[in-house]
Amino acid sequence: MKGYRKYYLNKVLWLLVTAVFAFVLNFALPRLMPGDPVAAIVARLAQGMSSSTGMKVVYEQYAELFGTNKPIMQQFFLYVNNVLHGNFGASFSQFPRPVSDILKSAIWWTIALQFPAIIVGWLIGNTLGALAAYLRKGFDKVLLPVSIFVSNLPAFGMAIILLVIFGVKLKWFPTSGGYGFDLIPEFSWRFIWSVIVHYQLPFWSIVLIAIGGQAIGMRSMSIYELNADYVKYSRFLGIKDRKIIGYVFRNAMLPQITGLALSIGTMVGGALVAEIIFSYPGLGTTLLTAIMGQDYPLISAVTLLITVMVLLANFLIEIIYGLIDPRIKAAQSD
Amino acid sequence: MKRIMFVLSILAVFSMLLSACAAPAPEAPVVEEPAAVEEPVVEEPAAVEEPVVEEPAVEEPADETALPRDETLYFNGQQWGAVVCWNPYSSNCNNAMALAQQDNARVPMFETPYLYNMLDGQQYPLLADGPYEWDADTTQVTFKLNPAAKWSDGTPVTAEDVAYTWASHVKYNTQFGAANKDFIDTIEAVDPQTVVVKAVLGEDGKAVNPLIVNAYLSSNYVIQKAWTEALEARTGGEADAFMADVAEDVVYSGPYTKFFSDDQKVVLVRDDNYWGQDPSMFGKLPAPKYLAHVIYKDNAAGTTALQAGEVDVSQQFNSNVQDLWLKDNLPVSTYLPEPPYGIGASLPTAFFNKASYGLDQLAVRKAIAMAVDYDTIIANAMTNQSATFTQVPRSLMNPTPGEQALYDQAAVADLQFAGNDIEGANAMLDAAGIVDTDGDGWREFEGQNLRYVATAPNGWSDWQAAIEVVAAAGANIGIDITTNYPEWSVYQTIVTNWPLPEADFDIFMMWSDGAGPTQPWSRIRHLMSSEFAETENNWNGNWGGYINPEADALITAIPGMTEEADLVDAYTDLVRIYLTDVPSFTLMYRPQSFHTVNESVWTNFPYEGDGTNPPVPPLDMTDGWAIAGLYNLTLVK
Repeated sequence: MKGYRKYYLNKVLWLLVTAVFAFVLNFALPRLMPGDPVAAIVARLAQGMSSSTGMKVVYEQYAELFGTNKPIMQQFFLYVNNVLHGNFGASFSQFPRPVSDILKSAIWWTIALQFPAIIVGWLIGNTLGALAAYLRKGFDKVLLPVSIFVSNLPAFGMAIILLVIFGVKLKWFPTSGGYGFDLIPEFSWRFIWSVIVHYQLPFWSIVLIAIGGQAIGMRSMSIYELNADYVKYSRFLGIKDRKIIGYVFRNAMLPQITGLALSIGTMVGGALVAEIIFSYPGLGTTLLTAIMGQDYPLISAVTLLITVMVLLANFLIEIIYGLIDPRIKAAQSD
Repeated sequence: MKRIMFVLSILAVFSMLLSACAAPAPEAPVVEEPAAVEEPVVEEPAAVEEPVVEEPAVEEPADETALPRDETLYFNGQQWGAVVCWNPYSSNCNNAMALAQQDNARVPMFETPYLYNMLDGQQYPLLADGPYEWDADTTQVTFKLNPAAKWSDGTPVTAEDVAYTWASHVKYNTQFGAANKDFIDTIEAVDPQTVVVKAVLGEDGKAVNPLIVNAYLSSNYVIQKAWTEALEARTGGEADAFMADVAEDVVYSGPYTKFFSDDQKVVLVRDDNYWGQDPSMFGKLPAPKYLAHVIYKDNAAGTTALQAGEVDVSQQFNSNVQDLWLKDNLPVSTYLPEPPYGIGASLPTAFFNKASYGLDQLAVRKAIAMAVDYDTIIANAMTNQSATFTQVPRSLMNPTPGEQALYDQAAVADLQFAGNDIEGANAMLDAAGIVDTDGDGWREFEGQNLRYVATAPNGWSDWQAAIEVVAAAGANIGIDITTNYPEWSVYQTIVTNWPLPEADFDIFMMWSDGAGPTQPWSRIRHLMSSEFAETENNWNGNWGGYINPEADALITAIPGMTEEADLVDAYTDLVRIYLTDVPSFTLMYRPQSFHTVNESVWTNFPYEGDGTNPPVPPLDMTDGWAIAGLYNLTLVK
């Protein structure tokens, strides 16, 4: 297994180098945005006051608190120090609420929405794609155009179509919120049922598009594999079809697994569109609000989270590939 | 072997999926482990109820996880984003239902000595007992407190609380202390029921600005001294910590307090021990038991909820609100049944950047202002939720009868242009010699084409629609005006700092003051006073940099005037100066707050001519005297 060590060391090294670059960019990019986070807070106060001579004082107080009046390098080192201690700082727009608190309350809604949606979409999509490649004829002729159409629908288009048809016209599902507008979160059947009902439309708006995309991908890979030499050879040898299919789909699935892992890595970014259209709580809208209000700590924390998850997912893929892809195994043992 | 690899692949996939999850899902019950293992294995309950609520609510109904629809009043348009804190000293609580210390102060949870009523311009006592009185020399104002007023912990509201609140604002330099300390010197408790507010005196020995002192009495909460001291103790006297404290334990005097708050909604519950049910105040408790505000992501989501009957009181701008009852036949209504549907209070204004090329010429400014089609703005941008300039000719005053009576309309009638006067504008420019000499269709001033950018923040759709109309007017009079819509975060940073950039901010839109005890003086000061011209970090006004000593003199003199006739003369002069110089121009009238109600559950909301005395203003049942409306609500049967 000596070759494996070199393979994995290589991967770990790249992981670390990428992580450092991503970290620096995470810090720098939000702060390059024009606009001033303290001004956003002060503007909110300026309305409705008859005598706003106190604004300058408030402005200076917050600039001091947020450290936005310090030089950028100093801010960076403070940031690194804090993050390494697990402290993402306090959000600007919701000062003094800690960023980790905001993330904690938002992230579960996003994961609960995205994760099953990605898995279900992946499973159903790949199954349909594989079936289409295998059965061909009529099934394939219907599936391919439908998949292309559905997978290319923009997320907001799908979300609004579902909202209008099922929410507004048929009134089968509620139009907004994570749970009933008159409920207080508690561990009770009524609350959980309300969450499930409110979950449907955002969930399906993501799944339907994912199914389309996965089906096309799997279908192409399967067709490619089905036409490979070893399939024809195995058929001539008299090996049962079912066994051959097993080989074919295992090979075809490899790129799909990569895709799945990357989707999971980026899922924390949130189904921003679905969350906004359905007023669904989650990390996507948190990120959007943070960007609009120049809430640097919150933006940096969310983007850092996304970066870390993508890097980890990528890394895990590479490790698993090393194990299950015999071509890599073969290359190492040379 | 192959089967094993296949199984391994599936396992690998699932392990990847699991690796993405750091911890269990939110609704997982937390089973409490018994501290000591008991001998007979007691079957633990499957799930210990762990409400996601941070603290158990005070008056939580025995078994309910739902707010009863017929005891809850739902709002929208006030709260955007999660509530951060409950601290009345803070500037950043983002707690719209409980904290808004402004001219029309929001008083469900915290209370002010007086309540301002924008419909008649009076200040009515709340915590106070009877009107306030200035002394003969105008150096201090005295008022008494209502002996029935009590805090939520049962102790009485005393003058010491009022004095200590002001002292704390000054000591910790809160936003309210900083705003008022140039006008209020000290507040003292003469006896437990009597408060004396000593004003900062000018050179003439009189209060520098009695108007602002009066405004303080109806804008700022009285906060309990004992609680403030506890807050000081636990924050160690540090101003930042003092103001940033979340204040979950705050003591209040109002009828409602915190029930529940998370990222999706905030709910206030009625405190049935509220002192205001004393006959000297309201005589009963407010009708709704809960005040709830679901946090919507944007206006559209809020409007959908209003249509669905999930919202009773809407502070959103609902475009074409009349369609809700005319076309959709919903039980939705506004304060007035016909346009403008509400009472205009503030004057969104387009400012000229005086440093822009050609905008220092009066003819150019006035021509542009005259040529704009304001009726289109009001029809498009405000969907007729504003009075037109024919109904209420332009001035510096809002359409309320109180302010309109403060100037002599006849004296300035010839200056009050109604807009869309292309002929007049062209004539004015021709007369000033600003003509198109090179035949390209655009007028020139001293050889250079007049070219401007009109701007408003991106996403503020009614402002953007208004600016589009301003730009269109330019084409009719030979001035090239294009539009640009930067993000609000960028826009505010630029506009509030002088000098403005050389390009892209020639004509820009900003707000003006609404209704309050210091109006219209404060609005005029913010529009025209040179105190704010050419300054940085300027959130007050006069962003175009207008300087006029004559106006300044009048603005300085008005707070000291007591004779009605003098005031009318001064205000008329200011209107005359404003309409002559045109440093900025009003684009439309805007209500203090939007007030649309859905009467499917609750009814008897305020409407014009409803016979209430004092009349209840349409301020979403919570601001200033509008809180009285909560006591009149009944259920639809």
